[in-house]
Amino acid sequence: ADSAKRSSADKAVVDARRRMLSEWYAWRERVVEDLAIDRDDLGLGEKSEEQMALEVDVEAEGEGKVVE
Amino acid sequence: MRPILLQGHERALTQVKFSKEGDLLFSVSKDHVVCAWYSANGERFGTYKGHQGALWTVDVDPTTTLLATGGADNTLRLWEIKTGKELKRWEFNTSIRRAEFSEDGRQLLGVTEKRQGQLSNIFVYDIVPDVTADQSTDPTLHITVELPRVTVAGFSALSRYIITGHENGSVAQWDAKTGELIKEEFPHEDGMSVTDLQWSSDRTYFITASKDKTAKLIDSETLEVLKTYVADTPLNSAAITPEPTNYVILGGGQAAMDVTTTSARQGKFEARFYHKIFEEEIGRVRGHFGPLNYVAVSPDGKCYCSGGEDGYVRVHHFDPPYFDFRFEVERERERGLQM
Repeated sequence: ADSAKRSSADKAVVDARRRMLSEWYAWRERVVEDLAIDRDDLGLGEKSEEQMALEVDVEAEGEGKVVE
Repeated sequence: MRPILLQGHERALTQVKFSKEGDLLFSVSKDHVVCAWYSANGERFGTYKGHQGALWTVDVDPTTTLLATGGADNTLRLWEIKTGKELKRWEFNTSIRRAEFSEDGRQLLGVTEKRQGQLSNIFVYDIVPDVTADQSTDPTLHITVELPRVTVAGFSALSRYIITGHENGSVAQWDAKTGELIKEEFPHEDGMSVTDLQWSSDRTYFITASKDKTAKLIDSETLEVLKTYVADTPLNSAAITPEPTNYVILGGGQAAMDVTTTSARQGKFEARFYHKIFEEEIGRVRGHFGPLNYVAVSPDGKCYCSGGEDGYVRVHHFDPPYFDFRFEVERERERGLQM
């Protein structure tokens, strides 16, 4: 009985995590999309200057080629 | 995860910041000197000398050209990172508690200390990201904050809002153009100071740390609390690891004068890792001999660092297992996405 109780408690934990995960990603998708629309409306590029700082670094290392 | 110890400060660290590329690290302490380090090996890149008092804050612009610092000598200063040259100095009636650039580096805010007869003030300056340019002496925005003392502040995504944290545990949202107060919320226990505020990489959400022993993940737009991380010690700092990793790192600890014994265990001088989405603690990293005053994560997610009351900066480069670790439901989700 103990182990049955434990496994149902485990299942509740896993279910809760699964729910938190899907809620989080649903929220992130919405926010990222809204931000992309706002940036576009303002005539800004896809990423902010501080996010671009990382992109430049990747290109410098030759992992992403810039096509001219 | 073998740490690199940065030795060079003689007093307690107050803030540490990575450059946006993650290759440099800037630290300020109560010893008046600003230091820059290579985050890969801990070698010193340089120092920025001129401040007369304890330093409270440092920030770096997105191009790693300009550094902003502020402290107890009532000045906010702008430096050329490469040469160490002081480019601009703004003077105030009280000390500068916090300085932060906007995400595009075109604006800089400074928060002045609230003192008898002086409210907290926020000053915003337009910044020209060019070391030869004349920076403006006058602020483009000045907010006199008629709320409890401002402890932390920064610009949200698109520099739409200025978000402030306060000594009573409240968080407020201001229009970054007009300075109008839009919203005030109370995510933390009443009277328990907000000690830190750090952004997600896109600045659409942020994390606050508080003396109430919790950190909160908050939506920049609505100020809604998305997640709560419960610790067992007062917190001084909290950082969000860049996506796709989903962790937050908390730092704090009780100062020696506040605990009956000074043993590290009692003081709980550890960096704590929590799962950002599940709010569960997943690990701790020891090392400091005093409270962690600040924790920062490299924007590339490869390492984090902590600045301690003990005068040390510790840089930890993550081992591969850190990146591979997943909860079962996360694996499940990844498998689902691949199908």
